[in-house]
Amino acid sequence: MSIREVNLAVYGNRFNAYTELRLQRNSSTQITLLNGDVVANTKTSDGGVSARVFKDGVWGFASRAQIDDDAVVATVDEATRNAALLAKHAARPEVVLPRAKTFKESDFGTRKPRLSQQQSIDFLRALDAHIAATYPDLKSRNVTRLDLDMEKHLYTADASEGYSNTTRSLLYVRLTSTSDAGAPVEYGHTFGGRGQFEDVFEDPSALYSEIAEVYRHLSNKRHAVLARAGVHDVVLDSSLAGVLAHEAIGHTTEADLVQEGSVAGDYIGKLVASPLVSLVDFANTYNGETLPVPVYVDDEGVESKDTILIENGVLKNFMHNKESSFVFGVDPTGNARAYRFSDEPLIRMRNTAILAGKDRLDDMIASVEDGYYLLRYSNGQADATSEFMFGVTLGYEIKNGKLGRAITDTTISGVAFDMLKTVTMISDEMNWTCAGMCGKKTPIPVGMGGPSIKCRVHLGGE
Amino acid sequence: MPRPPIDRDFAERSLAALTSRGFQKARVRLASSDQHELQAEFGHTNLLRTTHNTELDLLGIVDGKQGTLALNNVDVAGLSDAVENLWAVVCGSRADPANDIAPRQPKRVFDSGPVEPDFDQMYERLAEVLYHARTNYPTLKIGTGAISYVSRHVLFVNSNGVDFDTTRAAYHARMMFTARDGSDVSSFNGAGVTMAGLDKPIASLATVNELMRQTTEQVRTRKVPHKFAGDLIVTPDCIGDFLGFLIGNIGNQPMISGTSLYKECLGKLVADPALTLHSRPRDLVGGYFVTGDGYEAQNATVVDNGVLKTFLLDQYGARKTGLPRAVTGGGAWVVDAGSTALADMIRDVRAGIVITRFSGGRPNDKGDFSGIAKNSYYVENGAIAYPISETMVSGNMASLLTNIVAVSKERADYGSGVFPWVRVADIGIS
Repeated sequence: MSIREVNLAVYGNRFNAYTELRLQRNSSTQITLLNGDVVANTKTSDGGVSARVFKDGVWGFASRAQIDDDAVVATVDEATRNAALLAKHAARPEVVLPRAKTFKESDFGTRKPRLSQQQSIDFLRALDAHIAATYPDLKSRNVTRLDLDMEKHLYTADASEGYSNTTRSLLYVRLTSTSDAGAPVEYGHTFGGRGQFEDVFEDPSALYSEIAEVYRHLSNKRHAVLARAGVHDVVLDSSLAGVLAHEAIGHTTEADLVQEGSVAGDYIGKLVASPLVSLVDFANTYNGETLPVPVYVDDEGVESKDTILIENGVLKNFMHNKESSFVFGVDPTGNARAYRFSDEPLIRMRNTAILAGKDRLDDMIASVEDGYYLLRYSNGQADATSEFMFGVTLGYEIKNGKLGRAITDTTISGVAFDMLKTVTMISDEMNWTCAGMCGKKTPIPVGMGGPSIKCRVHLGGE
Repeated sequence: MPRPPIDRDFAERSLAALTSRGFQKARVRLASSDQHELQAEFGHTNLLRTTHNTELDLLGIVDGKQGTLALNNVDVAGLSDAVENLWAVVCGSRADPANDIAPRQPKRVFDSGPVEPDFDQMYERLAEVLYHARTNYPTLKIGTGAISYVSRHVLFVNSNGVDFDTTRAAYHARMMFTARDGSDVSSFNGAGVTMAGLDKPIASLATVNELMRQTTEQVRTRKVPHKFAGDLIVTPDCIGDFLGFLIGNIGNQPMISGTSLYKECLGKLVADPALTLHSRPRDLVGGYFVTGDGYEAQNATVVDNGVLKTFLLDQYGARKTGLPRAVTGGGAWVVDAGSTALADMIRDVRAGIVITRFSGGRPNDKGDFSGIAKNSYYVENGAIAYPISETMVSGNMASLLTNIVAVSKERADYGSGVFPWVRVADIGIS
């Protein structure tokens, strides 16, 4: 049964309370070459139907793997029973969800013929062969293709309806060399973004110059030195600013985490950052360009809108689902998103970015007497206190305004609402990344963006 | 309510379809699972969830080429398409003589855990732990609290004659919380346990109550007084982060690529003799019966008094490296208790921290790490001084294991793992 073509409205006559009915299929391909050997070669399809019913202030949820008429009916009925059963014990009739009605369709599937598995593996093998031939001193090569297509069709009791096919294709290249001391040294980069493989990657040779950059940085890391532990002036490259927006601020302004106690709950209308800083969770479009994870209607049937979180240093809004918007007395923002068919939607970011400023990156580096230029991250984590951290896999010393030696992998941290007040320069560029997977309860793809930022953070090291 | 039903005939048909298509070796894993969950948010029970899933994993090998296809909604009508899809996946691959399936083993049926959920008890235990938090720790805010019952029935068959029929059911409890006192806020904290039954209050299990209590006193924190090299007392909630480097580096990828620091260390000391680490998939509630490569799982001692006893290579990894295959698939970790009482362990620290949550970047291949100590305490002159924030710990994961000074007598049992407190010397703290 095609997810898009199912007439979900016909099941509306089974709804006897506010109900969300969702069909969803996540499809992925993973191929991994380790030193040329195919060590992973997998296709996965994970889909089904879910229903969520809101009755007397509580939710009933049910899901099944099948997508057919019997499964849809059984799932709606089971979710309805679950809501009624729980309402007998824990009703909160004072909670009333806002209504929302919209209709949106979006499809980011390719119009080109799909590559066969043979062609896909040949692409990776050509890339791997180039790396092996060009950089014979490498100790290890890992080339991985990882795609994810998320297809959803939603219908709600408010007659809101949405269809989306949100796709992304990534290529991970991870190279390992040997340090001066004989220890393994690794560095990698992720290529790709929104769209299916055929639209994102054309020919392996198009990546050769970027692979050369990866190798150049890896070579520098062979002689890397430990960062000095402590608080330092840093320039965070634009490729790293997005994770700052996501981890340091974004999570603290999700309304469910505000309800849980996030320190941001006290800060609406207050100056929380340098006036240079503005931060937005974009729904789908920026400056006329479609963003990495475009969301037009969320999984509660709410039209997704941009949410201004910080404007000129002042905290303005939180991100909401329907229930939190009732609690806070504001409109929902379209941030409710589910990862699998069997997950209920949670408040999630979409495309979170710090907006560009007016400075030039070269001038920012030149302005640092003794600090670091940090370029790539591995992972990150947020906190209710706004104390964030993320792992840094590529960075260089800055001495007297000039780049120096590479540093070994490190971690940076800070208290976001303090650190953002130390921002003194923001570059005029804007860099979006699509490789992120947020891990709040369930994973979900997110877009992140931003310019380069000069500020002070705490580095781990010797 | 019976176990999740499984269609043995469909599994056998799938295997026959694979061999008929021309796969020289094939494996089918058919799973059926049910989940029932009660969830509370912000102190109110507000969600009752029931999910049903079926999963079909197909693996095929032709002329040394291997591929897998994982689907969750296939029926007999869709089987031939699935087989053709897998054929395309496999034929596009590259031959590797190390690809293989598990050899014939005695047919076995495994079954563990409660047959059906007790909804009344689930509701009562959830209400009880919420009440416990509300009355004992009024500043604690439970963001999410949930008790679920998960039952999973899996059939493993392959063309060598493997036939394992496994069912495992358990209850799981998880909680996420912070504390707020006026405008002072703690870090996020969380607890999770896996249980065969609900005979005990959730707050009495593992470290659940202690984490709640500690969180309420972590609303006001201080930085450590200065940068220093000191002791780290790693709590059972956090020890997995510090064992992960060793565990990850004795597995397939780093061993095959030759980048593992431990590649020459079989039979050698990789940790202080105070550390003994087992994988006990057959003993723990949160364990498993069959490994990912299709063998009946067995318990194994991975580190015995500091000596590495086995790598964690599966059949493919063993063939690629020429080293023995591990009889466990990893996980279900148990660290032996030591001889030092926790109170004495703290008393022996001149300057250091008790770390309960590590928030850090992934260690590099050499094992260097740095990260924030969350929900943690500064220890000075043998006593816990105060809760800390903005404190970074740095060191090397491999050295950390050889610098273990003491292992506690006390342990926490999470159902999916059993861990003591471990004291480590000479960690950078700033």
